[in-house]
Amino acid sequence: MARAGPPKQPDKIQPPMTPMIDIVFQLLIFFLLIPSQSGEAYLTTNLPRTSGPVAGKQQIDIKRVKIELQVPENDDKGVVIVLNESRQFGQNFEGLLAALQGLQDAGLAKDHPVLISPWMSCRHKWVVRAFDMAVGAGFTNVHFAVPYI
Amino acid sequence: MSRKKKGSAASGAVNFNMTPMIDIVFNLLIFFILTSQFTQLEIEQVNLPVSFAAKPEQVADYRNVVINLKDPDAPKCVVMGQRVDYRVQEGDNELSSMLKVFKEDAGDKPLNVILRADEMVPYEAVASVMLGVARAQIEGWWITTEIADQEEVLGG
Repeated sequence: MARAGPPKQPDKIQPPMTPMIDIVFQLLIFFLLIPSQSGEAYLTTNLPRTSGPVAGKQQIDIKRVKIELQVPENDDKGVVIVLNESRQFGQNFEGLLAALQGLQDAGLAKDHPVLISPWMSCRHKWVVRAFDMAVGAGFTNVHFAVPYI
Repeated sequence: MSRKKKGSAASGAVNFNMTPMIDIVFNLLIFFILTSQFTQLEIEQVNLPVSFAAKPEQVADYRNVVINLKDPDAPKCVVMGQRVDYRVQEGDNELSSMLKVFKEDAGDKPLNVILRADEMVPYEAVASVMLGVARAQIEGWWITTEIADQEEVLGG
């Protein structure tokens, strides 16, 4: 007995919103997390060996390349670079890099030990920069001197 | 009742399925609350030195302990949000004792120390931390830097 009514209009096409919103949130998480991991990197090195309750002096290898980082008297935030106790570079790290590359060119092996010996008051950024120059010059065996305290 | 249903269906009203959306929102809320707390516990605000030779590492491959060294004028060592005495002394100091416990807890997984030191901290503080880490017999030692170009490093 049903009367034929007017023809039913087709429903409007509705894209499923829920999975789309899910995906948008997942993307949001992804892009929020990824930048927090970038922009930082790490320098890896060997730690001084200790024996007994107080750190002991390690045997000094006189053949190693030594980069001493001194602090000028008139500027406690500055640095004076001394290579192998003879060549001074002031604060010129580019000169240090060239000198270290020169040592490599002269036949020094990449795994030849390099010792960075900063003064106690030397700022951390200079220590990292000297390390940077040594690694940038191709040396792979770079250590820090930790004095007998 | 059936008429009413028919009417509403014919009107073509947009009905969002709210349940999964609320699920996701709650998940996000929990995630951000937890991660922000963990991040705050481990990482302190420091001005990192720049480096061109440093490389990004797979931090997740290790069990990591983050040591923060901040306040260049009077350096403070902060581990997991807790200020720790790192001064060199006879026997273990607070830092090396803490690291020994971490090493025991780590078991077979290699323990790695990540140093986040302010660029203006004097080397004395870094060397003292180094000795503490070495005394705990931990071999993994990473110094955190910001990545920069060689020109930028040499010019800065």
